Amino acid sequence: MNFASTCNFFIVGLAAGMMIIFTQSCAPRPPYRPPAPPPASALPVTKPPSPVSPPPVQETVRKSLPQEPKIKEQDVRSKPLPPSVASKEVPKEPDLPTEPAAPPLPDDSSLLAKITPGTSPQRAASLRLTEEGRKLLDAGDPGKALTRLEKTIVIDSTNPYGYFYLAKAQYRLGQYKQSLNFLDVAESRLSAEPFWLAEVQALRGENYRALGMAQKAEASYAQALRLNSGNRTALEALSRLHESQPVAR
Amino acid sequence: MNKSKFRIFSISLVALLFVTSSGLVFGGWYLKRLEETVTSKFEDPKWPLPGKIYSDSYLLYVGINLRIDDFKDKLRRLGYRETQTAPKAQGEYRYRQAPAVLQIYLHDFVYPAEAFKGFPVRIAFEGSVVSRIENDATGEEMFSLELEPELVTGLYDRTWQERRVVKLAEVPPLVVKAILAIEDERFYQHHGIDPVSVLRALWVNIRSGGVVQGGSTLTQQLMKNFFLGDERTLKRKIKEALMALIAERKYTKAEILENYLNEIYLGQRGSQGIYGVWEAAQFYFSKPLNELTVGETALLAGLIRAPNRLSPYRSVDAAVKRRNVVLAKLVEDKIITTRQYEAGLREKLLRRELIKVTNDAPFYVDFLRRELSENYSNTVLTAEGLRIFTSLDLQLQRIAERTLSEGLKKLEESYPNLRRKGEDDSLEGAIVVLRPQTGEIKAMVGGRSYQMSQFNRVFQAKRQPGSVFKPFVYLAALMSGAEGGKKFTPVTMLDDSPFVWDYDGQEWQPGNYNDEYFGTVTLRRALEKSLNSATARVARDVGIARVRDIAHRLGIQSSLPAVPSLALGAAEVTPLEVAVAFSTLANNGVRTRPLTVKQVMDANGHMLEKRDIRIEKVISPQMAFMMNNLLKGVLDRGTGEYARRWGFTRPAAGKTGTTNDYKDAWFVGYTPDLLAVVWVGFDNQTKLGLSGAQAALPIWTEFMKRATAGTPVTDFVPPPGIKIVDIDPLSGQLATANCPTVVHEAFIEGDEPTVTCPLHPGSSLQVSKSE
Repeated sequence: MNFASTCNFFIVGLAAGMMIIFTQSCAPRPPYRPPAPPPASALPVTKPPSPVSPPPVQETVRKSLPQEPKIKEQDVRSKPLPPSVASKEVPKEPDLPTEPAAPPLPDDSSLLAKITPGTSPQRAASLRLTEEGRKLLDAGDPGKALTRLEKTIVIDSTNPYGYFYLAKAQYRLGQYKQSLNFLDVAESRLSAEPFWLAEVQALRGENYRALGMAQKAEASYAQALRLNSGNRTALEALSRLHESQPVAR
Repeated sequence: MNKSKFRIFSISLVALLFVTSSGLVFGGWYLKRLEETVTSKFEDPKWPLPGKIYSDSYLLYVGINLRIDDFKDKLRRLGYRETQTAPKAQGEYRYRQAPAVLQIYLHDFVYPAEAFKGFPVRIAFEGSVVSRIENDATGEEMFSLELEPELVTGLYDRTWQERRVVKLAEVPPLVVKAILAIEDERFYQHHGIDPVSVLRALWVNIRSGGVVQGGSTLTQQLMKNFFLGDERTLKRKIKEALMALIAERKYTKAEILENYLNEIYLGQRGSQGIYGVWEAAQFYFSKPLNELTVGETALLAGLIRAPNRLSPYRSVDAAVKRRNVVLAKLVEDKIITTRQYEAGLREKLLRRELIKVTNDAPFYVDFLRRELSENYSNTVLTAEGLRIFTSLDLQLQRIAERTLSEGLKKLEESYPNLRRKGEDDSLEGAIVVLRPQTGEIKAMVGGRSYQMSQFNRVFQAKRQPGSVFKPFVYLAALMSGAEGGKKFTPVTMLDDSPFVWDYDGQEWQPGNYNDEYFGTVTLRRALEKSLNSATARVARDVGIARVRDIAHRLGIQSSLPAVPSLALGAAEVTPLEVAVAFSTLANNGVRTRPLTVKQVMDANGHMLEKRDIRIEKVISPQMAFMMNNLLKGVLDRGTGEYARRWGFTRPAAGKTGTTNDYKDAWFVGYTPDLLAVVWVGFDNQTKLGLSGAQAALPIWTEFMKRATAGTPVTDFVPPPGIKIVDIDPLSGQLATANCPTVVHEAFIEGDEPTVTCPLHPGSSLQVSKSE
């Protein structure tokens, strides 16, 4: 084999290798699937409250306190999180589980449906104003929406949806850090509503993304999907993220 | 002619020529100067438009508890008038009992984000609760309603000229014709001065033996109002005439008329002068110009001669007589028909109450001006017609003013030694009121009398907070365990006995009130009873730097030295800082930016600035709740318990503050929705001799009772991760059925005690609640 044929062989091999890489990178990716819930055996056993032996959830809260002032909702939820999220460490490479996702939660976004005969007048008025603010947001007027939504927490300071939509208005106005602050408050008041907690996490992800904190954004989206596998914001955002990223990360 | 005569003639001629030419030169120069003056007024911006400060708007909703008398008072202040029939025009309202219904025809109002068009509403009540709101025109049900903000005051230089500038085309022809008919019927014939009118006026005045008619043209009146005072001298009249001639030569009749219609003075509302026809129509009839009736138009034109003497606010009879004179003139000149004339005569002129703008919040406005001055010059604030929308609640402001004034007076009556002789040495006080969730400053009283002293003690007086600072020590303690330090809970036992704190080679010995020590006490009891010795021990164990950091984190901005006496409030802070820091606790650990200015609009309705609610979570809601729960005990059992005896029974948290030398008395207290800080003392730092509970608490209690009356009762809601347990307050252990007193204590889940009370053995009470 002379020098020329050696070169030819080398060039052909190189071209073939490049072809293979190119073909693989152009192949369609499997769609993103939300992380599956952990096996039942991994869930903590919830015991009735006892003054002698507090349940594991309570212990989680207690142990999370060194992270003051940021006690996050995930610390007080009963569902365990992946170690990377639970410890507030941003995962370096979020794994894409292949197990089937938990069924999506029913849509709980209607605020007016939350007004029942037992709802206090303050909460009812606050919810109606929140709904008005939401409509203004949908209509693309976050400035006016913000003014309206600020009144919701004046009337009823415990209305978590008011805080959530305030966060959304701030996000739309490009005030991402303020939006995250409002989400902190909304989150602390929505502990019993996984649908809304997922919304909070998804919006948090949007804010992180806008701030250029891609890994934090991805973790928030993943968390949103863990809470509600049907959360559209998180699904779409993660799909976008994965489409825009190269295969080998 | 001989030589000497010729010489005299020549000299005289030269002198005459010299005098004449000098006169001409001077006259020319003088006329030129007058022309420049006239031109500058016509061509530069002519009228300073005062800035206006508005209160927060009022939101009404189905289910709100409304005290109808207070609400009617608010409507009155907003310029609404009560009628016996259903409201037909903007600014009218009717209240009927059985069934209670309030009908209001709302004013138009331009809000920063949107313009609101007034419409009639019907508000039905069940008892004092709003049961239904509907659009009275369409019957459409509404769930909330925003009532326009109140005008608090104007920002102006020297005089407050209330005016809206309009174009001539915006003024209805009848208004123009009526004014010309009664003020200057030959306006389109003369050139600035009207000899015919002058002679006629002279003749009328000679016949009547006094000055009953003027001969000034409308142009002369305008020149007088623009440049000259009311002095009745020949010099002024000549100047006025010259200026009128210049104006007529340089400008069209339409330009002169437009200026006149905007310039003319037409009445007075307290410190507000009413200028121009548009503003006058609003002031006298609450209507836009194009909605004036013939009678109202005639009255408006008639008022120009003597706006205050002929004002319907002062005398309906005088106003009606003057209106009828104008109507007669209009029909005589065939400007209106006989039918219109008769209809005008039949129009009933109702007596209306004059609502003056009195600036009930001078300290607040000063604070606001200081904030605004960062972005707007004084000229812009006073002359460019800015509209400034604020967080001020005038109802709370008035309550705060009244309670502080009455409270200080009562203290002087109860403790005569507080009455000092020097004018600069009177007992002083301050109140600041915040809404914790938004940071809005709802009321601010910076001193006893704004007339006597404009020193705003809310943000300008730095005083020692005394025991008001202690909650920061205890908060640092509760957070210490989680941060790797010594662990504290509300039932941690503390040593309350004399001790010496060695610090940087120095010794500091904190002493208790009356040198009374309680031995071993729970953390809760130490805070409720404000025990100095126990608190100082906690601060030592936690670390004074950590205490200082917590205070800063909550909202204290003043520099705080990390020395042991800081634990007992030896550093100086303002009442506003104290309010911000405690509102962070009230708001579940979320710090808000103090907010006064919400929006600023320019004269054309463009929003210049919007300040949003700004929040930041600085401590966990669990920690905030635990502190609130501890501070509730101050009012229920501790140094603030007199508030309960005086009738304030709502769930609330608070802390008294007294400085070592009794120079300052404080009370800071809050419900989940409203926080107020009261300070009492002397400006010259002399001894007050009273504790916070004695001097500040009564004022705070009275304020809160009045401020929260009729509002829903709310309590602090425990966040997830908090466990509430029944505790014996003496032993700090789980209460038994035999414990004489039981406290619902909040713990971070897992931190609650597990042993039952050893002092009162018996069966354990059930755990109250787990959140």
